[in-house]
Amino acid sequence: MQFILEDIINGILMGSIYGLAALGLTVIFGVLKVINFAHGSLLMVGMYVAYWAVILTGLHPYLALVIVVPVMFLFGYFLQDIVIKPIFKAEKAVREPITVIIVTTGVWYILDNLSLLVFGPQYRNLQDNPLRGKMLEVGGMLLSVPRLWGFFAALLTAFAIYLFFQKTRTGRAIRATSIDREAASLQGINQYKVYNLAVGIGTAAAGIAGVSLVPFYNIFPSVGVLFDIKCFIIVVLGGLGSIAGALLGGMIIGVIEYVGTQFMAATWTEAIVYGLFLVFLFLKPSGLFGVKYEW
Amino acid sequence: MGRNTIRIGPLVLAGVIALGLPLAVRSATYLHILVLLYLYAYLTTSWNLVGGFAGVLPLGHSAFVGIGAYTSTVLSLQYGISPWIGMMIGGILAAIVGVIIGLPTFKMRGAYFALATIAFAEGIRVMVENIDNLGPIRLNGPRGLQIPPLNTGLLNFMFATKEPYYYIILFMLAGVLFLTYAISRSKLGHYLVAGGEEPEAAMALGVNVARAKLIAMAMSSFLTAFAGTFWAQFTLYIHPKSVMSLDISFEIAFIALIGGRGSIAGPVLGALLLRPVTDLSRIYFGGKLPGLHLIIFGVVLVLVMIYQPRGLQEPLTRAYRSVTKKLFGHTEAA
Amino acid sequence: MRILELKGVNKSFGGLKAVEDFNLSIEEGGILGLIGPNGAGKSTIFNCIAGVYPPTAGEIYFKGENITHQRPWDLCRKGLARTFQIVKPFSSRTVLYNVTVGAFATTGKRAEAERRALKVLRLLHMQDVKDVRASTLTIAYLKRLEIARALATQPKLLLLDEVMAGLRPTEVDEMVKIIKELRESGVTIFVIEHIMRAIMALSDRIAVLHFGKKITEGTPKEVASDERVIKAYLGEEYGTA
Repeated sequence: MQFILEDIINGILMGSIYGLAALGLTVIFGVLKVINFAHGSLLMVGMYVAYWAVILTGLHPYLALVIVVPVMFLFGYFLQDIVIKPIFKAEKAVREPITVIIVTTGVWYILDNLSLLVFGPQYRNLQDNPLRGKMLEVGGMLLSVPRLWGFFAALLTAFAIYLFFQKTRTGRAIRATSIDREAASLQGINQYKVYNLAVGIGTAAAGIAGVSLVPFYNIFPSVGVLFDIKCFIIVVLGGLGSIAGALLGGMIIGVIEYVGTQFMAATWTEAIVYGLFLVFLFLKPSGLFGVKYEW
Repeated sequence: MGRNTIRIGPLVLAGVIALGLPLAVRSATYLHILVLLYLYAYLTTSWNLVGGFAGVLPLGHSAFVGIGAYTSTVLSLQYGISPWIGMMIGGILAAIVGVIIGLPTFKMRGAYFALATIAFAEGIRVMVENIDNLGPIRLNGPRGLQIPPLNTGLLNFMFATKEPYYYIILFMLAGVLFLTYAISRSKLGHYLVAGGEEPEAAMALGVNVARAKLIAMAMSSFLTAFAGTFWAQFTLYIHPKSVMSLDISFEIAFIALIGGRGSIAGPVLGALLLRPVTDLSRIYFGGKLPGLHLIIFGVVLVLVMIYQPRGLQEPLTRAYRSVTKKLFGHTEAA
Repeated sequence: MRILELKGVNKSFGGLKAVEDFNLSIEEGGILGLIGPNGAGKSTIFNCIAGVYPPTAGEIYFKGENITHQRPWDLCRKGLARTFQIVKPFSSRTVLYNVTVGAFATTGKRAEAERRALKVLRLLHMQDVKDVRASTLTIAYLKRLEIARALATQPKLLLLDEVMAGLRPTEVDEMVKIIKELRESGVTIFVIEHIMRAIMALSDRIAVLHFGKKITEGTPKEVASDERVIKAYLGEEYGTA
């Protein structure tokens, strides 16, 4: 019995990191109303940035946040500004441009393969980092320390983003645009700047997720692919645009994975996750906390 | 020069060239590339029936390729049934699965539909990867199935050289192009276009949009499965990652999109432009610059979607028309 | 005979009562107008009739048949067609293509559908623009295209939803003429309109809707002088919109 509890808790911890990864996706969707297929690649970029930051500066992985967050924010900001904005301008009438899905997939291909070209296919990891393999014993259960830190990082980031959107002027401007972009622009809010900010924030969140993963996860060019689909599933489960939903959805997936692998092959847990995804898509597409959109 | 001559001329020319190509191209490698080119042109044109005409973005068509490949292979390996018959059965199976997938998903729009098709395709792939035996049927999980090259001949859909495969896929491609053309002019074609552009208006005009989309989906998946059988017989080895992977689904969709979905020539054009890039860059740069072809692919995708969202066939058709106008003068009938 | 009958039709959206206890009937070959201030529920009634959504309560009869829960495409086959207030052309296609879609409602052959489409276009004096892409048409032509498409389905009853909105006075007069010609050819017409001059000129009878309820029904003259109607429109002038 104790082992199941341990699996559940570790699943929650890992799942919260999934949720952190999906946080950016849900924010971007909530504001821009588009699904960013390149999100996994952004996570991958975050992981590489964190990795190189640690290797080159010798910083503690978590201190690398100081470098990763601004770099990722700017990366996302300009990605939106240069690559995705033109499409928004071209398809003004359409609220959910399919073209953006396609373009972000193109970005995914480019980023993943560029990093393959530049960094090579080898798996990298931070061998000597102070957190690797560290376990914490709590009541007879062994919990993974980096995942525990990741859990806290996820909660903190989610809370910070929530506060930003509720309390700051810029945050409220972003929310206004997400509700009605025309009304917001009539109020003097530059919708394209809002989009840039939202994507910047979402990408920075992915960067934080990357930093959380780097102490114990392998880093390689296609690592993003694993997370990409997982993030979509989480975001649909939790509700597109919902911060709490992303965390909760992530935890559900984490628990399924950790508990599931005790009873069946890893790939069957994959099938269960897909099945759950489809069930939600058909029965409750707005997810657990999401707003119902006119889909 | 008559108007029809200008329209049909290049088609006839292309047809003649295609028929004669194997005589000029002797290298097996290049014939292989050509076969793949036609295969993808076939796949994208079949995809176009749903993705182009019906106006949705299905990103899980590899499932149908897999169904076709596995059905005909299992039937021929375990029960000695000719792959041609297996192809038909695979097509019917795929059509049924396609309708099952379509029923709940066509109600969704945009990204949700795309995600649902991905989930279905990946779910099917994961299941096939996990199952070694489904009752009496051997699927062999991730190891896949190998077809021993024993009995060659038309009846067994197996040949020692590449040429017969070349002509078969060329024939299939011509068939599917003709079918697309016929549908585009038919009631179903009009209904699909209407349902894709303005579903409410279409419904008010007597179009059962959901049913039209399902019919298109059934046709598309039926035809796509044929490609799976062809692939199995051509490469003699199938496994989930080779016939059912997400990469294939994406490549099909994106080639069609770059070429121009919704048009007849678009998907073929896309395949003509992009497949050589993929294959040639893999041959020449594969070792030194891995993944380069996908970078090029991604860049093309992004640029085309920003500047020519309707696909490259639009500017190319316009260019062709203005060139022929300059060369042969105005040919509009009175 | 009564080609259309609405009995006790109610439509609520959540807590909002859009249409309340609406009764109406139209005689075959007539033109019935429906007017009312914005938000009165006119388009809601059209949508209920046309099968976009069913009424919350009540029944709708078309040619004697209960069609309350039937879907738009089936109703179209039975001879009930409608236009949309906000035009919905198939923008990427030509005018002829647009109308051909409608023509396919009663045939499976393209040649025949196209022939009928051309006939309809000539009826509406649109044959010169048949090869024009719908996305480039002016609003006047777009409104006419809506009618042409619906007409191509060979309806017995045609629901016209504000087809005059956005038209210039000369265009309005042309449209009135066209609609009258349609009635001559045997189509019953149910029209929602804001442009008073048009609806007064067209209709045999007019029903007035206010806050979802029918407040009166009668000949144009009766309705125009009805105090309740004037009150409901408070400030609305009889003339061009």
